[in-house]
Amino acid sequence: MRYSSIVQRLVYRYALLTRLAHWFGAIAVAVLISSGLQIFNAAPYLDAADRSTPARRVLSIGSPAEGVGQTTLFGHTFTTTGFLGWGSDGVGGATARAFPSWLTIPAYQDLADGRRWHFFFAWVASLAWLTWLISSAVKGNLAEMVLRPSDLPKLWPMQAYYLRLRREPPPHGTYNPLQKAAYTFVLLVLAPLIVLTGLALSPGIDAIAHPLTVLFGGRQFARLWHFLAMVLFVGFAIVHIVQVATQGFFNQMRSMLSGWYRLRDHESVGP
Amino acid sequence: MKRRLFIATSIAAALCGCAPIGTALNDNPGFHHFLGLEGTLDAALLGNTDGLARQYSIADISTHFPVDSLPTPTSSSYERLLEDGFRTYSLLVSGAVDRPMHFSLSGLQRMAQQTQITRHDCVEGWSAIGAWTGVPLRHVLRLARPRRDARYVVFRCMDRDDQGTPYYESLDMAQAFHPQTLLALKLNGRPIEPDHGAPVRLRVPTQLGYKSAKWVAEVQVVASFAHLYGGKGGYWEDQGYEWYAGI
Repeated sequence: MRYSSIVQRLVYRYALLTRLAHWFGAIAVAVLISSGLQIFNAAPYLDAADRSTPARRVLSIGSPAEGVGQTTLFGHTFTTTGFLGWGSDGVGGATARAFPSWLTIPAYQDLADGRRWHFFFAWVASLAWLTWLISSAVKGNLAEMVLRPSDLPKLWPMQAYYLRLRREPPPHGTYNPLQKAAYTFVLLVLAPLIVLTGLALSPGIDAIAHPLTVLFGGRQFARLWHFLAMVLFVGFAIVHIVQVATQGFFNQMRSMLSGWYRLRDHESVGP
Repeated sequence: MKRRLFIATSIAAALCGCAPIGTALNDNPGFHHFLGLEGTLDAALLGNTDGLARQYSIADISTHFPVDSLPTPTSSSYERLLEDGFRTYSLLVSGAVDRPMHFSLSGLQRMAQQTQITRHDCVEGWSAIGAWTGVPLRHVLRLARPRRDARYVVFRCMDRDDQGTPYYESLDMAQAFHPQTLLALKLNGRPIEPDHGAPVRLRVPTQLGYKSAKWVAEVQVVASFAHLYGGKGGYWEDQGYEWYAGI
């Protein structure tokens, strides 16, 4: 064991505002996903068109008969009873229902309340994002995080390390190249895209900003992109949580709670 | 192994807790009211913007326009209107106006007509494009001359839910005077069919479909809608939907 790994190299990695933004954002995103599924349940299909067009239906979740749930994706139909299309109604029974009650807020079917939660936490998430952007730009965290062209050759070696094809990760700064790629995509591309596609769904926004809705192909198309962006975000969240759990859980949690992170051998501070 | 089990259990507990905690909070009246701040905030930011809903071309018109509302009225008074081709229909413009007025269907038809091909956005998530023809609401209101204390326009409708509660809606004066807010008489060139709100249906293309009340019988100008039904300014608003329906 080298000397450097024995000495605890604690670094102050996350400013208070960044940590607050992370946890407010995490809670808000969890609420947005589950209240979003509640809203989706009111019209459980997605069309690649401006107005509703059954001929251009990409996804639909339904119940063709009592006790049966069906999901149709790009014209291929799957039986998804108990999960999608037919399942718990959240108040002790079973019913035709796209996403199941344990995934939605509130658990029972209530579009008005789902919207209330969604739009409230849309504000929370947007403010958390803005807080993070400003605080990390000021503190220099943003510069350490953004993926640069010089990181590209290190992406595969890093992945090879995770796949155990390589013993040591490539030397890197505060974030490894894959973290940079993931955070840059999610925080600087996906998050704004989710906000914009969500706004494009609203007739009041469409009336003052036609180009936004037109850009995404119209209201139903915007609904499709909004849903797809959510799926990508869920994919990120799964990988993120697995990484936190396996790459030094207590060290990672301490850093996002107190700000202090213990550097490992191959890590340093900087971009 | 214990450490891994602890980590996995705490993450799983955090994720599984999301929906039940949310539901419990949703059933808490104080928290539910607090969440309603979003509606107030959105209405303050967007409620009186004067943007125009996008206009489409004839080729964009939906072949099927869904019917998704309270059931078409079955009352004997509506049946009689249907039988005589709405010749005895009369739209009452009342309340805080200098000149309360009645408009017959032919009287409305003789006024200057506007046609708009606009998208109808349902709160449930579907959309349909239709060509709506009728009288801009502001023309009717100007004839009746709202008084100084007028703040809202309430639309009283002929449809009722299964409890007998009538449908109603409301707009503030700025939304009522919006150039695209229409008392629609025709859909796609033909008189509006009973299921779509015959003979007169409101069209508010800058807000969600529940604002576009069907089967309008009375346009009532008021200073406040707090005393009407649930007090929230509309049938769906009384059931928890936002009064400002632009989001």
